[in-house]
Amino acid sequence: MKRTVWFAAAALVLSGCGSGQVGEDGADAGKPDASNKRLALVPGVQNEPFYISMQCGAEAEAKAQGYTVDTNAPQKFEATLQEPIVTGLGADKPAALLIAPTDDVAMTEPIRQVKDLGVTIVEVDTALQDRSLAVSTITSNNEEGGKLAAKTLAELAGDKKGSVLVLDTIAGTSTTNARAKGFLDELKNHPNLKATGPAEFTQNEPDQAASKVTAALASTPDLVGIFATNLNSGEGAATGLRNANKSGAVSLVGFDASPSEVDGLRAGDFQALIAQDPATIGKEGVRQAIASLKGEKVQRDIEAPLVAITKDNMTENEKFFYKSEC
Amino acid sequence: MTESTVADGGAVPRRGVRSRLLTANTFWIALVLLALVTVFSVLAPNAFPTVFNFQRLAIETAVLLVLAVGMTFVIITGGIDLSVGSVLIFAGMVSAKTMNALSDGGSAINAGWGVIIAGLVAAVLGGAVWGFVNGFLIAHAKVPPLIVTLGSFGAALGAASLLNNGSDIRTVPTTLKRALGSGTSFGGIPNLVITAAVITAIAAWLLHTTRFGRYTFAVGSNPEAARRAGIGVTGHLMKVYLLTGLLAGAAGFMSLAYYSTTGIAAHATDNLNAIAAVVMGGTSLFGGVGTMLGTVIGVFIPAVLKKGFNITHVQDYWQMIAVGAVLVAAVWFDQQRRRARNRL
Amino acid sequence: MSALFEAVDLTKSYGSVEALRGASFSVDAGEVVALIGDNGAGKSTLVKCMAGAEQPTSGTIRFEGRDVAFGTPTDARRLGIETVYQDLAVAPELDPAANLFLGREIRRPGIFGALGMLDKKAMRTRAAAEFDRLGVRLQSVDVPIGSLSGGQRQSVAVARSVVWASKVVFMDEPTAALGVVQRERVLDVIRRVRDEGVAVVLISHNMPEVLSVSDRVEVLRLGRRVARFTAADATLEDLVGAMTGALSQEEDK
Repeated sequence: MKRTVWFAAAALVLSGCGSGQVGEDGADAGKPDASNKRLALVPGVQNEPFYISMQCGAEAEAKAQGYTVDTNAPQKFEATLQEPIVTGLGADKPAALLIAPTDDVAMTEPIRQVKDLGVTIVEVDTALQDRSLAVSTITSNNEEGGKLAAKTLAELAGDKKGSVLVLDTIAGTSTTNARAKGFLDELKNHPNLKATGPAEFTQNEPDQAASKVTAALASTPDLVGIFATNLNSGEGAATGLRNANKSGAVSLVGFDASPSEVDGLRAGDFQALIAQDPATIGKEGVRQAIASLKGEKVQRDIEAPLVAITKDNMTENEKFFYKSEC
Repeated sequence: MTESTVADGGAVPRRGVRSRLLTANTFWIALVLLALVTVFSVLAPNAFPTVFNFQRLAIETAVLLVLAVGMTFVIITGGIDLSVGSVLIFAGMVSAKTMNALSDGGSAINAGWGVIIAGLVAAVLGGAVWGFVNGFLIAHAKVPPLIVTLGSFGAALGAASLLNNGSDIRTVPTTLKRALGSGTSFGGIPNLVITAAVITAIAAWLLHTTRFGRYTFAVGSNPEAARRAGIGVTGHLMKVYLLTGLLAGAAGFMSLAYYSTTGIAAHATDNLNAIAAVVMGGTSLFGGVGTMLGTVIGVFIPAVLKKGFNITHVQDYWQMIAVGAVLVAAVWFDQQRRRARNRL
Repeated sequence: MSALFEAVDLTKSYGSVEALRGASFSVDAGEVVALIGDNGAGKSTLVKCMAGAEQPTSGTIRFEGRDVAFGTPTDARRLGIETVYQDLAVAPELDPAANLFLGREIRRPGIFGALGMLDKKAMRTRAAAEFDRLGVRLQSVDVPIGSLSGGQRQSVAVARSVVWASKVVFMDEPTAALGVVQRERVLDVIRRVRDEGVAVVLISHNMPEVLSVSDRVEVLRLGRRVARFTAADATLEDLVGAMTGALSQEEDK
């Protein structure tokens, strides 16, 4: 065993000193390859209708322009799971990477690593705090979405006075954090409604959301509304209300129009949904990426539209419902 | 006379290299690993057998390897440690908190080496605390290891979450990330891998050449005999669990450097992955037998499966099934050989 | 004339159970003394007290003429007194050499040894020499001792106690779990040990074995010594009679 240790050490030394970064092979770093028509899409998590709709929009636009899209999402909305997918792209470099970073700080280095290999970066849905890496960022204006949600809730509450619970997901998720902020800011303009406190974090787990709702119902007798900043927190909140027989009595405004939320709206579990336009986000992401590859003008920031859907206007807003497959 | 006695001159004849190799636990599992690498190289000749791929493979197993190294000692003593993943998180959290506290403005992103060293010390100490707690309850209070470490598995995670109100800390020094997390040396070997390799080499030396290592095997093989022979079994068990805690602390620091986040939700199954790796490498859950080389091979088998499946576009979920099958098969096979040998 | 090792009037109680009620024992260098008695007579307890694994409630233990008290087995070991138990004597996964040196490993010289590194080659060589000296014949010295037969395993355990014991070896039923051939092997080793001048105390249930290997026999009954025999002069009936109380000899005090 001692011999093998010495041999390994010798091999290490002989292989030449010199430090660097993983994936640096010097050969073709930094130069985009014009014949490379492959785009990579790394959403935040698998099997979520929002990201699936985005994928559909991206694939359609890519096909129209003669490119292909390779989608690879982590099993959970976790930076530690998304990181290997991103850094693994170095094996077979795409021309561009469309990514929804699961952590606005932790994903900076992995994305930088891929960018340094010559891959063009476009952010879709979520964004890094570091703005120097992406050529374009397409996102819904989540703060506006939060404001819209507050306005919608105020309309639903009418003249009722009471408290409102805000359910956020995980600290560090730029999207939901912004929605919560926009909501709380707009809520100040409606004196008959006040927040129970700062937004509560559900760790993106429906059962945590449900228990927070149950706890709020017990501790806040004048609870009139709940704002859930994404699908998981919305589903959990709906469950919590249902279990306490308060569906409809407390107005639940959710975010996103995934199939289960749309059903919930129809059934009366949700009173309103703030829908994004993931298909447009995907489409624009591809469009900006290809423009950058071709050396054409790129728009640095694009805002995708948002719409408030209630039971009354469901039929005309069908196109905003998210898909579970293309 | 078929029995061997002492040959003349006092030289003790050992069994031939071939015979020792064939009965060695690690030889067969190494063949399995080689077979897997070969199969995937054939299925994806442009993507699998590349420097880049092996780099990524090694990086992605480095942290788990450090955990598995500690777990090897524990399992050889006949114990188990379910808390390693949580202790990793706790150590990372303590380290990140320390580094952030020592930095201007509370964010360690631009911190220098002094702060980073402090973070390393904090991480290792954080791991040592839980190692000590585990060791004390197991060795002195004589509570079964499964129960003690099940308790610390939850308690360490809870403590880590308390430190930052349930949120991850992502403000990790960029210098640390670029030096340890993604840096390379000697022409392409990732520093994270070198760190893990050095730790593994030292642990292998400790296990296979020192008195500490032999006592580990003795305590696992027959604690009563060890006690009667004058070995301080209680003290030794304490040291083993303390060592595992220290290693989990080091792993926490490495994980922090690599992922740039404390990753509270990301290490829930690290304990079982480490145990599976150790057991697949030929270490017996009943104690007394094991090798560090086996653990290294055991750590790579699930990693190679996962990478291979990714590259050949097989769904992730098959990998989970495959690892389960290999684990059971490896242990069954090892048990068969052990039964056959004991019939001598 | 004082014997090498003596226990005088030991009592030992576990709660309300009196295991020893004034038991005595003596053994001299270079002799094998068998300690026999029926179940519950207190043989194991007496040996544990004499070897330091238990502490007697009252009574005296004398070694080489001096009064001694053992707090732990290690205290006894330091004086050259070793014990072999019926089971759990060896670590099955370690090889014979490792078992021989268990707890007393040879370390490498110099800085390596200070770090704890073992000199496995030296241990193997020395173990081979010791096995040869004591007539312990093993099928293979390179395998875990668990894969050797029970007799070979116990031979190694006996050898271990002898290698380190310079004065007295206590053996608690060392051949109880063994077959006939294996038992003979262990008895051979015991004889060689006696021939080297070590005092051997043997607990056994096996009367023929007792008569075959011991020089003297001391009988324990209900926690007290009730008879002493020379093996050459004793018969099976004498021994059994003393054990069951049918034959009463000396009430030793």
